[in-house]
Amino acid sequence: MFVQLLFLLSASLTIGCAIAVAVTKNIMHSCIFLLGSLIGIAGLYATLGADFVAVTQIMVYVGGIVILMLFAVMLTGGKDFVSRAQNLLGLAPSMGNKWTYGVGLSVGLVFLLTNVKLILSISEYFPEKKFGNEFPSTVTQIGHLLVKDHVLAFELSSVLLLGALVGAAIIARPRKQ
Amino acid sequence: MSLTSYLLISLVLFVIGLVVMISRKNIVAILLGIELILNAAALNFVAYSRFVTNNLDGHVFSLFIIVVAAAEAAVGLAIVIRFFQIKETIHIDEATQLRN
Repeated sequence: MFVQLLFLLSASLTIGCAIAVAVTKNIMHSCIFLLGSLIGIAGLYATLGADFVAVTQIMVYVGGIVILMLFAVMLTGGKDFVSRAQNLLGLAPSMGNKWTYGVGLSVGLVFLLTNVKLILSISEYFPEKKFGNEFPSTVTQIGHLLVKDHVLAFELSSVLLLGALVGAAIIARPRKQ
Repeated sequence: MSLTSYLLISLVLFVIGLVVMISRKNIVAILLGIELILNAAALNFVAYSRFVTNNLDGHVFSLFIIVVAAAEAAVGLAIVIRFFQIKETIHIDEATQLRN
């Protein structure tokens, strides 16, 4: 019962905030709506019994990436903040016009219909198996997997993060002309 | 609460991310669309892990997706800030040359 309620709440929060990301006028508001969408996805992880992934999602995405996005928006605000007066039905004057929205919506519609067909056949292919319910806690098993089966990817991801850190610092540094 | 419902939510999220990427002309907004798409992929991994394979490999894949998304966001936003220092705008139509 509680899980169904959490599922419905999280799903509606995720989809609603994602739609709001697509249509709000202000890029700042887009970032805040992305925050809501990511929290909804963390709720969906919780309904799937993935507690560690849910907490990581909140810590990394909500606490890190969205804050980084907000900093980037505020550092690059200026005249593009509510930019370029290409108005589409009063809906989204910023950052897009009726051509881009038309192309985006048609591509999205084609993709949606194609994949709904695929997903319906997938769910026939994988019959509903009901596994013994939630894992007691996934943290121990994920820790074992990270240092046994996936240790190469684990180490490579640390190198990737170091490279991203150094690369970001080098790219964004101010330069003398 | 079945595999299909999670896959449909993930699909809708992916399509919204695609629409954001195509229709917005602000580089930061395009990065927001990329984040939505990466989240949809990670949600698929966890859903399959719960309903089909019943082991935790999907969770590990999701964690790596989150790590890669963090790295991508850091480098992408650094590029955006550098671009803004050069061009004084972050409109994607201005991004037409590789060297300054």
